[in-house]
Amino acid sequence: MNLAAPLQAVVDELSKFPGVGAKSARRLALFLLRQPPEQVDLLIEALTGLKTKIKFCKICFNIGEEEICEICASEKRDQNTICVVEDINDVIAIERSHEYNGAYHVLGGVLSPLNGVGPEDLKVKELLVRLKGEIKEVILALNPDTEGEATSLYLNRLIEPMDIPVSRIARGLPIGGNIEFADDATIGRAVSGRGKF
Amino acid sequence: MILKSLELKNFRKHNDSKYEFAPSLNYLIGGNGVGKTTVLEAIYLISTTKSFRSSPDSELTAFGAESYEVISFIESFTSHKVRIYYSKQENKRVYFNDGKPLARSADIIGKFPVVVLTPADLELTHGYPADRRRFADQVISQASQAYLNILLDYNRTLKQRSSLLFKLKEQRSRSFLDQLEAWNEKLVNSGTQLVEFRRRFITDFKDYLTESYSNIMKKQETPQIEYESFARQDDDIKKVFAEKLAENRENELRRASNLVGPHRDDFVFSINGKSLRTYGSQGQHKTFQVALKFAQFFYLKDSLKNTPFFLLDDVFGELDKKRSLAISRYLKEVGQAFITLTDFSNHEFLSHDENDAAIFLSEVAAG
Ligand SMILES: [Zn+2]
Repeated sequence: MNLAAPLQAVVDELSKFPGVGAKSARRLALFLLRQPPEQVDLLIEALTGLKTKIKFCKICFNIGEEEICEICASEKRDQNTICVVEDINDVIAIERSHEYNGAYHVLGGVLSPLNGVGPEDLKVKELLVRLKGEIKEVILALNPDTEGEATSLYLNRLIEPMDIPVSRIARGLPIGGNIEFADDATIGRAVSGRGKF
Repeated sequence: MILKSLELKNFRKHNDSKYEFAPSLNYLIGGNGVGKTTVLEAIYLISTTKSFRSSPDSELTAFGAESYEVISFIESFTSHKVRIYYSKQENKRVYFNDGKPLARSADIIGKFPVVVLTPADLELTHGYPADRRRFADQVISQASQAYLNILLDYNRTLKQRSSLLFKLKEQRSRSFLDQLEAWNEKLVNSGTQLVEFRRRFITDFKDYLTESYSNIMKKQETPQIEYESFARQDDDIKKVFAEKLAENRENELRRASNLVGPHRDDFVFSINGKSLRTYGSQGQHKTFQVALKFAQFFYLKDSLKNTPFFLLDDVFGELDKKRSLAISRYLKEVGQAFITLTDFSNHEFLSHDENDAAIFLSEVAAG
């Protein structure tokens, strides 16, 4: 049976979500169809807000509602320590651990020749510009998987001549592990027990 | 560890087969094409996530079926239900351990250790270094999750690095060369760990090999196994690895491939100091292959404190009576084993008592 075109359109859009197959997309679409109109309006509004109100921070590329994110704008935080992460999910995970009081730098990915991702596709240049300021430590908090490690090694080579101490989180995180999925305690331990690179 | 039962649904020729096993020797008996090797293949798949016939999942799916399913009940410290479900349409295979899907199927490796002896084992002593590396990797991976992770990481690094070398062949840019430095360091780091692991493994494994060889051949023959890598025994592995990379730099760039590292290691076998490859008789080759598998069995048993499944596929047809008898006796020490045979009558010497099971497979049972 073919779905009615407006329903099929929603199913098609939902199927593009990571982890959502055709079957779950259909279930979600039918769920929406059964909702009262006000409920669906709330969703539309929320989605519109996501794209219009959320901005990427000009300094660290984290998300926020202003040009400069809350973390970069905070006077309570140590702006001279930069924790380099792969993406925004990792900022959220590390923040949840309440162990870290410095600033971040969101790379937006990791090096992967297979996927055609090079340093030009990441916020590497922007990181190096930031490091020309008064930075007293860089913490590399990339996932301890193959690409994350290679990216850490790459960044370490770039930062080494700048005479800034580089450390990296490792302890407690298994090889092939993912920061996003580690529990808060593990992340907390990993950040506070970071080792010199 | 005991495999209690196995259910196969749309797995090769088995549309719907169910087997209950004895905790000792299980003889799977039937003519050609009844799917007895497939039963071993399914057990191996549960333990290692791979088919020992190197078949892709699409080939394991019965003709005309959309999915296959393997369900097993295993006693390993406690009871486990392990289920594999493969869907052809999604080309996706999921492992369930006690109802919970595993995030990556590799997580099952080592939980239910297995050893397989097949006619293809002749490649172990006659074949290429890759065949011997695969054997060693398979043994160590089952014994150590840490090794498995390093191996997967190293292989992924090789892939990434060869992709980068390929780009460099087309365009030797500054950016690519800088990235290569980082990938070199990554390769050296995980490659060094791999070599260290393999060294430790061979040191331990030697004694197991000597022991099992003498159990099969009661002659004055001493088997040896030597690990051959780019670094010699007393070398600083990391340093030598980096030097060899530097030496081969132009070569690697020209050929766009990984030319140095433990993915080119070999293991060299000899008997009484003489190379098996050059001087070994057919009988010695055969004994060596079997001894390697028994050594694997007892090595895994000791390191995991868990008795592996022992699978023997069509082994006795190839062996002379003396060796067959020795192996058959040796099997009694093993625990649970699964042995395929065309029929019993040619193999009266095989030990079988009331504790063992003879399971007859026929075309009808195979559907
Ligand atoms: Zn910011």
